[in-house]
Amino acid sequence: MPSSDPLPPKEGALFRKLLKCYELKQYKNGLKLSKQILSNPKYTEHGETLAMKGLTLNGLGRREEAYKYVRLGLRNDLRSHVCWHVYGLLQRSDKKYDEAIKCYRNALKWEKDNLQILKDLSLLQIQMRDLEGYKETRYHLFMLRPSQHASWIGFAMSYHLLRDYDMANSILEEFSQSQTSIEAHDYRHSELLLYQNQILIESDRLQQAVDHLTKYQAQIVDKLAVRETMGDLYIKLQQQEKAVPIFESLIRRNPENVLYYEQYIAARQVTDSSAVVSIYRVFQEQYPRALCPRRLPLNIANGDEFRVVTDEYLRRGLRKGIPPLFVNVRTLHQVPEKAAVIEELALQYFENLTRSGHFSRDDADAGVPVEPASALVWTALFLAQHYDYMRDTDRALEYINVAIDHTPTLIELLITKGRIFKHAGDPVEAYVWLEEAQSMDTADRYINSKCAKYMLRANMVQEAEEICAKFTREGVSAMDNLNEMQCMWFQTECALAYQRMGRWGESLKKCHEVERHFAEIVEDQFDFHTYCMRKMTLRAYVGLLRLEDVLRQHPFYFKAAKCAIEVYIRLYDKPLKSETTIEEIDIENLPPSELKKLRSKQRKAKKKAELESAQAAQAQVKREQHQKSKQPANQETDPDAPQLDELVAEKLERTDDPLEKAIDFLKPLQHLAKERIETHLLAFEVYYRKNKLLLMLQCIRRARAVDPAHPEVHSCIIRFVKSLTSAAKEEPFNEHVQQVLDKATKELIGSKTPQQLNDEFIAKHNASILHLYEGARSLYELDNSKKAAAIKLVTSFNLTKLRLEEAIKIYTALRDGDVFGDCEAEAASYQQACHERFQYARIFRNVEELEAQLQEKEAAKLRAEEEQQQLIHVDSSEPMSVLATAAAAS
Amino acid sequence: MTEAEEINGREEVEDDEQDQKQKKSDVKRHDDGAADLERVTDYAEEKEISAANISSAVEQFGNQRNKENELRVAKEKELQKVQVKKEDIELIMNELLVSKAHAEKVLREQSGDVVAALEAIISN
Repeated sequence: MPSSDPLPPKEGALFRKLLKCYELKQYKNGLKLSKQILSNPKYTEHGETLAMKGLTLNGLGRREEAYKYVRLGLRNDLRSHVCWHVYGLLQRSDKKYDEAIKCYRNALKWEKDNLQILKDLSLLQIQMRDLEGYKETRYHLFMLRPSQHASWIGFAMSYHLLRDYDMANSILEEFSQSQTSIEAHDYRHSELLLYQNQILIESDRLQQAVDHLTKYQAQIVDKLAVRETMGDLYIKLQQQEKAVPIFESLIRRNPENVLYYEQYIAARQVTDSSAVVSIYRVFQEQYPRALCPRRLPLNIANGDEFRVVTDEYLRRGLRKGIPPLFVNVRTLHQVPEKAAVIEELALQYFENLTRSGHFSRDDADAGVPVEPASALVWTALFLAQHYDYMRDTDRALEYINVAIDHTPTLIELLITKGRIFKHAGDPVEAYVWLEEAQSMDTADRYINSKCAKYMLRANMVQEAEEICAKFTREGVSAMDNLNEMQCMWFQTECALAYQRMGRWGESLKKCHEVERHFAEIVEDQFDFHTYCMRKMTLRAYVGLLRLEDVLRQHPFYFKAAKCAIEVYIRLYDKPLKSETTIEEIDIENLPPSELKKLRSKQRKAKKKAELESAQAAQAQVKREQHQKSKQPANQETDPDAPQLDELVAEKLERTDDPLEKAIDFLKPLQHLAKERIETHLLAFEVYYRKNKLLLMLQCIRRARAVDPAHPEVHSCIIRFVKSLTSAAKEEPFNEHVQQVLDKATKELIGSKTPQQLNDEFIAKHNASILHLYEGARSLYELDNSKKAAAIKLVTSFNLTKLRLEEAIKIYTALRDGDVFGDCEAEAASYQQACHERFQYARIFRNVEELEAQLQEKEAAKLRAEEEQQQLIHVDSSEPMSVLATAAAAS
Repeated sequence: MTEAEEINGREEVEDDEQDQKQKKSDVKRHDDGAADLERVTDYAEEKEISAANISSAVEQFGNQRNKENELRVAKEKELQKVQVKKEDIELIMNELLVSKAHAEKVLREQSGDVVAALEAIISN
């Protein structure tokens, strides 16, 4: 179809040149050419030229002008597919895919069989997961160019993604019929065959899949995939005898693949535990260096047999000094009997090693050579880790101290000691030990990161950043560099630290940064739509598409989203005052002593603010420098990336609609993390505040589907009923809504009143503190006058049966006064009681004690510094490094 | 097809090239392996399938698809026949904070019964 507004030959030639220039990225020349055409008075309004001028400007990074010209061009020539296509390309480069799709569709209206536009459209459709649309476009392309390979592949894939396996398979089958000559070792052909096989398996046509594999075996290059799939299929088809030799040979190839052993045992159809153990025994003989056949029987064995295999396994590990030995057997602790056996064995080793240097008395009696001296340290470490897992802090510390006395330079010991304190509720002491460990090997990235993480747990963001800076790029702020590297463990921990400190804006900033990483990862798949099709890596491609669909299921996203939602809820409940009105307190009516206090407080605050603003200014300068240094690189790498708004903490925490922002984070969780009850509980909190009764109901139903006995579900129900009654009083519901609500309430609580329901709940669950807590919370919620009873319900619970996390939850609820109203006295006495029960936990210790401790430490540090200063005077060979450590220590 | 076809052709080529360049510069950022990546991104010439082998298949798939389309159109028609009230759609949107398209779809699927539609969304 000719252009709707054709140019005469001279201008036409210029226009072609213009296209050529754009193609070669000679934007400046392109711009000149467009001006030449437009300078002809007859064609100043020529739409396609104007549009191309816009696109060229976009190439130069002049985005606003680009939009202006492209739109102008389009307006002048609405019937030109070129203009629409150009507009689509511009939108695409701006990542506005929905808009771009519309533009392409308009372009196709004027030129329905244009291959390039169709291809472009299909890319956007697959990126946006418009699978029906993708199928249509792919069909169109197929009909236009049935002679091209890519047409067939894309056509088949569009059906596969829609789970129409039959059609996908028959397209591929037809396609391979038309393939006449196949070269040897044709990787693309081989991948195509395996892809077809995957479709057969997914459509549950297993026998056909086996036949297909057998037939084409010779043409498939990925021999491993053939064998693995074959073996798996035989097991599923109940032809186990054929699977046995396959997995035998696979194990020979790689004796450390857990899955191979599992499938081998499934193929042998052995279920009895000692029979399975003897199978592993055979493999132990065959592959003496392999770990799997030694570790796996521990999962299966029971009773005495478990003791025997575990004994062998632990001795081997302790003799060799394998640091992660405990981590390796930790999962066994889920079974109490197994944990008991492990404890018994380790204690026996410890006793005998101390006495005679043997693992057991029998060894000593038999005159076996003594074990290496290090075995004792590793055994002590193992015991410390074991007791730490059991949350027996005192004994854990006892053993770790023995180990440290024995070998003070072993970094693992210090890490474990830190971990024990962390689990005992003292993040500060924990980080001190990690810092010590870190100082022993400053070149070790693992311990460096661990140390940073522990610092974040102790709310020491600045220090954590400094530690990380030892491994980040020089000349850039560590925080920015970590963001650039998508270092998400750091950012989520950072967000949580800020959340604990009540620095809401900073916390949100980190959460949004993590969210942006995920958006970027989704964005990055765009390149693969063309690449994978061309390279025929279709199995991997489908895998990628499926991964991207559920990407935000990732724990990092979950953590960040949960944190953000909690912060937004907090900001909704207690909005921050606008910055100017904070300081206006009624000074005149204060007694002089109070006034004095206030003044000194204000002075301090002012000083702090000055310091902070100075720091902020410094940071700003740094950032600008960083921006400058980054800019040229940026233009080079991705000129198309639209500039995102900078995340500013102060703006984030003063958002107009925190609940809407929370919902943005919530939606992916509701979609992808349905199986986690926290998702629905968080969702409830949001919709409860929005007073959307039907949505509350939805959350409760979903939560109950996950775990009907979860304690928090109960208080959700109570609050739902409460909102229901108060909303009904205000104005009658729409009759349809009323119907749904009536039915649902009946299902949830029958004809009971909320009070009755709550009383029953408390009576039923009086042995579980978390249930009692929710019951007490509801008791107060329903009737404020029952405050004392509610508090008594939770505080009178037997403390010895309480876990640390539970105690913290209750104490913070009492302290913050947002669950049971103001109750300082009760909180203080509960704190005291908890302190006796959990002596290491920092939260229960009182402030003066902590401050005294801190001062003592400072003093000790100062003394140490002075000593070191003196040392420097004595020995000046290494002054810098000592100074540096002293500075780091302070 | 004349000039217009060419125009689009060129733009696409340019685009592909841009993609490739982008990939290359990405690699530079990650230091090594640039040579490897260039090798794998080189463009292989598309082999053509002779038309004789496939014309029947093309026809067959065309028919198959037409059948699918008929089914879909019939289903859509069925759905479009359902009478839905604007106020019902708005109620669903407002109560459950869903998009208009979603609300309308569910309502049609439930044959216009607004209570059933609300139920369907909250129990899903």
